[in-house]
Amino acid sequence: MAISDLLGGFADAITPVNLLFALLGVLLGTAVGVLPGIGPAMTVALLLPATYVLEPTSALIMFAGIYYGGMYGGSTTSILLNTPGESASIMTALEGNKMAKAGRGSAALATAAIGSFVAGTIATLLLALVAPTLVEVAINVTTADYFALAVLAFVAVASVLGSSPLRGLAALCLGLYLGLVGTDVLSGQERFTLGIPQLSDGIDVVVVAVALFAVGEALYVASRLRKGSVQVIDHKGSWMTREDLRRSWKPWLRGTAFGFPFGVMPAGGAEIPTFLSYATEKKLTKHPEEFGHGAIEGVAGPEAANNASAAGVLVPLLTLGIPTSATAAIILAAFQGYGIQPGPTLLTTEGPLVWALIASLFIGNAMLLVLNLPLVGLWVKLLRIPRPYLYAGILTFASLGSFAVNADPLDLVILLALGLLGFAMRRFGWPVAPAVIGLILGPIAETNLRRALAISDGDLSVLVDSWFSRVVLGLALLALVGPVVLRAVRGRRPTPAEVQREQEEDREVQRAAGTGDWGASS
Amino acid sequence: MSVVVVGYVPNPRGRAALEHAVLEAHRRDALLVVVNSSRGDALVDEEFLRGDQLRALHDELSASGLRTEVRQPVRGRDVAEELSAVCTETGAELLVIGLKKRSAVGKLLMGSAAQRILLDVDCPVLGVKSSPREA
Amino acid sequence: MNEAEESVASETPAAQRPRGFSGELVGAVLLAALGVYLLVDAGAIAIPGSSNTVGPRFFPYAVGGLSVATGALLALRVLRGDRGPADDGEDVDPDAPTDWRAVAVISVAFVAHALLINVVGWPLAVALMFAAVATTLQGRLTPQAAVRPFLVGLTVGCVVWIIFVKALDVALPGGIVLEFLTSWF
Repeated sequence: MAISDLLGGFADAITPVNLLFALLGVLLGTAVGVLPGIGPAMTVALLLPATYVLEPTSALIMFAGIYYGGMYGGSTTSILLNTPGESASIMTALEGNKMAKAGRGSAALATAAIGSFVAGTIATLLLALVAPTLVEVAINVTTADYFALAVLAFVAVASVLGSSPLRGLAALCLGLYLGLVGTDVLSGQERFTLGIPQLSDGIDVVVVAVALFAVGEALYVASRLRKGSVQVIDHKGSWMTREDLRRSWKPWLRGTAFGFPFGVMPAGGAEIPTFLSYATEKKLTKHPEEFGHGAIEGVAGPEAANNASAAGVLVPLLTLGIPTSATAAIILAAFQGYGIQPGPTLLTTEGPLVWALIASLFIGNAMLLVLNLPLVGLWVKLLRIPRPYLYAGILTFASLGSFAVNADPLDLVILLALGLLGFAMRRFGWPVAPAVIGLILGPIAETNLRRALAISDGDLSVLVDSWFSRVVLGLALLALVGPVVLRAVRGRRPTPAEVQREQEEDREVQRAAGTGDWGASS
Repeated sequence: MSVVVVGYVPNPRGRAALEHAVLEAHRRDALLVVVNSSRGDALVDEEFLRGDQLRALHDELSASGLRTEVRQPVRGRDVAEELSAVCTETGAELLVIGLKKRSAVGKLLMGSAAQRILLDVDCPVLGVKSSPREA
Repeated sequence: MNEAEESVASETPAAQRPRGFSGELVGAVLLAALGVYLLVDAGAIAIPGSSNTVGPRFFPYAVGGLSVATGALLALRVLRGDRGPADDGEDVDPDAPTDWRAVAVISVAFVAHALLINVVGWPLAVALMFAAVATTLQGRLTPQAAVRPFLVGLTVGCVVWIIFVKALDVALPGGIVLEFLTSWF
């Protein structure tokens, strides 16, 4: 029963030591998430080593804090600075910054923080309710079905993330290749190890994730370093009024309703639901004249959607062992690091651990609500770290994390090589997430495929034997062909990226008028 | 026409420097050049004026009745280099800077910007700690 | 990373840069080459005799084939003028010319620090790397400009080392001096 399991999880999570780890995770996650240029995926990848030395329960509890803290930190930055660091924060920044300019920055921060809490709590509750049901389904999932799920995740991630499906596929191929390097689990044969003994264990997922996200980003930023600073909005003054609250609570709930399902979907992400939430609030509001000039609904809805989708991502991860975002892939790597094999049986075999994780998501969420608003001043101070020190520091922690895995300098050379790959991918507009997901999910897909075919004696029809796999493979086909067909049939609707571009153009105009956001030289 | 240059930051010591500089510019009937520079190497620089703060500075300067000019260079150089560059360029006859009160440890840890300015700049430098009304 | 379909790409600021040779072509060709390598080398993977179904070669063949196809298609696309929008970020200036010197210095500094770890210990190796990276990003490479980054890096390195090694028991060589100084812990 879910409730008693969840209560058991709380019992594990609410020990003084574990609460301390949750607090530590929340603070670390927010602090790193606030820093410019560091998204949730990089936050989680960089802080992964910090959890290595702990026993699995404490480590995962700390990880839950880091995960939600990283999300919070990102949106705090985007409201404070009007620089949407991640695509999911674009919508929040849109109205949030206008509110700030109208002197209501504190209210924008407050509605975002409380909305995140509300959405995070409801979505985590949904996760707790949905998970056991899904697990009952997942128990009957065959190896062929599981292979189909992996294919769906591949296709969805490759075609949805990134500028074009082909570039997503290219990134996926790189990830799949990296996943092949090492010793084949089923036959014990070495593959593509180039005769280097250290490679026979495969390339460590942590090294790849840190390389692609942290080192690649540092190199890319170094190659095109921005000069100048942005204005911090005034976050003093009154928090929410009763009127603000009255206007916010419905958008919070609606945003949650958009965000959670998209988070559950493979590659659903947070970008589309935040966009949908914004559009809905704009349509439903009683104050349409305020949209574009700082409508509180336009902050409350998207921010709730953003956080709800973050919880939704955990559903396929914890029930099926399928990561649907880069951050989820790194969390999966963390599970593997503790010797926990992810898969449909995760909740059954590691039940108490998973429930402790879910319970600490609740706890972390509550901690964030209490801590975040009073600490805004502190987070702003972090933004004053000069970029040279920031990126040198990122490389320092990348070195720490990768070296700590095996204490082998060769790992650091591989880290740099893959970092250069990440650098190139960023230049070409190849998305990084499919590579990480390919690396993690590739071996899982292969193992399941071969087990399925071994059972059927090589008969390929086993792959479409069950209804489940037929539906899933059908969806995968749809995800691959769908976007192409849709584009051909009915043209395009504006994407969040375009809305952001309009905003950029706004900024261009401002810059031309001499009131630029980046403080261009006179 | 003679030129008075002042380094300005939005804090008490910057205000003190500005007030002294306005007095000096009146006394010398000089052009007042206000320099508010940023290294521009961090995402947030709260000492860099923009928006309302910048407008308030402009209002204040026009109210002083002086001929004034505000410069906000962002070129990755520190304040000492920027000020000395402006002084050289304008042939300034006086530079006004605000001084921070520093502890012994503070002096040990950080290279003093004021000291670098004194060594770099060719023109006379007026260092002030508080506003002329308090003096 | 989240730009719209490629039809839009031609209108993005990224595409306004000169339409010459694109590095992405190299990337696409290398991906295809990787695919060929996978296809060829997969044939060399030993198959245990008993295996009568899909063995360890199948998946490499599949990935290899996919890589060749993707690489070739992407190369065609790039040749026809399609450019991926370069990644955006808070600290990225999309209009800036690529600073290859910074990339080179960081790469060299990182490899050097990897090789130095077991010689001088992690804190000192990382401090040197930190100093090189920060000094480069500051835009001036003089010895004086490197002093402060080095001190900052050394402080960060030592503090992190003490936390991770003494409090968390992570294996990380500290170098003779630091290990001697902290041996009483």
